[in-house]
Amino acid sequence: MGSGRWSTDVYEAAARLRGGASAFAHSDSGARNVHPALNPFGVGARESRDSAEHPESLAIAVLFDVTGSMGAVPRALQAKLPQLLGLLLRKGYARHPQIMFGAIGDATCDRAPLQVGQFESDNRMDGDLERILLEGGGGGQKTESYELAMYFMARHTLADCWEKRRKRGYLFIVGDEMAYPKVKPREVRAVIGAELAEALELRAMAAELTQRWDTYYILPEGAAYAGDGQVLGFWRALLGQNVIELADLDAVCETIALTIGLGEEAIDLDAGLADLADVGSAAGPAVSRALTLIGASHGQLVAGAGPAALAGPPGTGGSAGGDGQHRSGDDDLDFPSGNIRL
Amino acid sequence: MTDHVIVVDLGYGDAGKGGIVDWLCSQPAALGAGGRPFHAVVRFNGGAQAAHHVISPGGRAHAFAQFGSGTFSAGVRTYLSRFMLVDPLAMTAEAAHLTELGVPGPYELVTVDRDALLTTPYHQAANRAREAARGAGRHGSCGMGIGETASYALLHGADAPRAGDCAAPRTLNRKLSLLRDRLAADAGFPRRATPPPAAVAAAYRAWAGRVTLADEEHLVRLLRAGPVVFEGAQGVLLDEWRGFHPYTTWSTTTFANARTLLARSGESALRLGVIRCYMTRHGPGPFVTEDPTLDLPEPHNRGGRWQGPFRTGHLDAVALRYATQVCGGADAVALTHLDSARRRAGELRVCRAYLAGGQRVTRIAPGPDRDLAYQERLTGMLLAARPVYDEADRPAARDWPEAVAEIVGAPVLVRSDGPGAAAKTACLTGVSR
Repeated sequence: MGSGRWSTDVYEAAARLRGGASAFAHSDSGARNVHPALNPFGVGARESRDSAEHPESLAIAVLFDVTGSMGAVPRALQAKLPQLLGLLLRKGYARHPQIMFGAIGDATCDRAPLQVGQFESDNRMDGDLERILLEGGGGGQKTESYELAMYFMARHTLADCWEKRRKRGYLFIVGDEMAYPKVKPREVRAVIGAELAEALELRAMAAELTQRWDTYYILPEGAAYAGDGQVLGFWRALLGQNVIELADLDAVCETIALTIGLGEEAIDLDAGLADLADVGSAAGPAVSRALTLIGASHGQLVAGAGPAALAGPPGTGGSAGGDGQHRSGDDDLDFPSGNIRL
Repeated sequence: MTDHVIVVDLGYGDAGKGGIVDWLCSQPAALGAGGRPFHAVVRFNGGAQAAHHVISPGGRAHAFAQFGSGTFSAGVRTYLSRFMLVDPLAMTAEAAHLTELGVPGPYELVTVDRDALLTTPYHQAANRAREAARGAGRHGSCGMGIGETASYALLHGADAPRAGDCAAPRTLNRKLSLLRDRLAADAGFPRRATPPPAAVAAAYRAWAGRVTLADEEHLVRLLRAGPVVFEGAQGVLLDEWRGFHPYTTWSTTTFANARTLLARSGESALRLGVIRCYMTRHGPGPFVTEDPTLDLPEPHNRGGRWQGPFRTGHLDAVALRYATQVCGGADAVALTHLDSARRRAGELRVCRAYLAGGQRVTRIAPGPDRDLAYQERLTGMLLAARPVYDEADRPAARDWPEAVAEIVGAPVLVRSDGPGAAAKTACLTGVSR
């Protein structure tokens, strides 16, 4: 191989690039069903546990919409997300992160309405990313089964950071559509294999979820409903300011990592934005506004009323209605912290 | 603010730039007290053929080629500027090794200028086909297609694949196919001996999904965010215009490219020249002070199949003064391999004059800018020159920094007494400016 220190064999390089995940191996193999490793049916709970090596684990889950409206975004996420762990550790944003990746589809018509990997402390979760089936389906009503994923996260995860230390984990949902208004027992039974006595209202679901998970919604540019006022308003009504418009998909890991860094008080906003600029991301200004609000809210407990209590029901023309007004600056401040503590 | 530093080898390369960059980046404050640490390394010449050896904190060696040599220090990123020739395939092998050494997520550390040229398997095939045809008249190429990459870009600028093309699949495929066809015909290698463009394009696209592509504005931000090290490749005596033609490299190895990049931000930098206590050279070409009887340890640099043997010789004050002059002077020196100087005290000499054409020569006069005919005449003169030594000119170990500072006309700011950052120390010896 000549005197070059590093092999330039194209096939070896391709294998290395695949080996590091982002290979879409499962989807590209022609698979049409959820990989067994990611099937939520009958799993009981996904666990994030402390260990000798990681005595203070911090659970982090990233679930992204894999339906057609997202266009090329899921593939880009599959390529970028393996960098998240390294980024958190390298920047010192979190000491013992345990990351889980998963995917969200549409329970009313998809083959893969929900896919969930395992919480891992090393790069094994990259394997889960590879196994995610990219659906390309979805119903075209601007709605996907986010509520089912929220239900799974609320009731079918066990995280030591919460169980032992009453410290919430982080949940990031990356998507471009709205959730269905209720968690339906039929779908819970069919997809997760669990019994739910009666349908759960979305707002109650969100309130339950955010007790244990500091939950963020990320709407990436390049998705069909990016910049859609109705979609943004919907999530702001549900999660308050924990809604991030992501202008630069390349910066998805940095955005997630910064959010965690702010939450962990490992950095302040200025340092975080400098880090973002460092990677050459053009997302700085866009992320900056979202993170400014998030950054400002940390350290303040919001007791009692969550944003869901202030906003009208999603999609009913309440203050979160589809007029897009909440995209402009100060309106966001109408919503208190999305970190609901009930 | 001049916290930035440009690190350039004033000889024929291999003086230990990697170790110096690694040490700089490991310091809590850039240079001097109170400052901030270096947070990025910028490559501004050459390509994947660079091999800057650094010992990892875990004690393992890594040959930095397309990652900055500061990578072992947490938080230090790499920017491959538009002057860099990028080889994505080689980078994947290097990244895999870095991962093995405990660098988490190496790709996320790298930002590549979209304008940077790509070195492909087709350039390598052409490089090797031509070098093989030259036989004994080899130029000392390293066989990685660096020269082919540069020359193809000169001839067919718009068709030359660049990093930014990896984000445009159709353009990338077209450029790679055209490149293979042209080079196969021109250099005379069989097309089927090289991988199909589709396979290369697929790997490049996957690579582009892992690193960050950016424009030069990125560098402006890096420079404003904190101190940056500009890491040169090869050495000033191999410079494409100022080296001894044709035994040169296809790149500008002086401070010039780095200063061009800095000028855009209105920033300046300390020019740090790296020098060993003795000279080395990879492959053929003038080397007046070569001394095969010097048996110095060289764990990383061995003769390459394409590059020729690794040669050692005594410190060449005449050549080093020339190097300093053609790059407009240096502000400071990093002096390396002082451990060898100590072990071989009395054996290592300093050459201050040549005997050439029956005359005593103490200075190589720089010629007009970009005059390769002049450079070629220098080469002829140097190939025939013999070193003149003063028998007493064998510096004791402690006198080396002073001696080198006097030759370069700049103080020694960093000394290296062995591999690893722990063997480097800041000092201030010699000429004060």
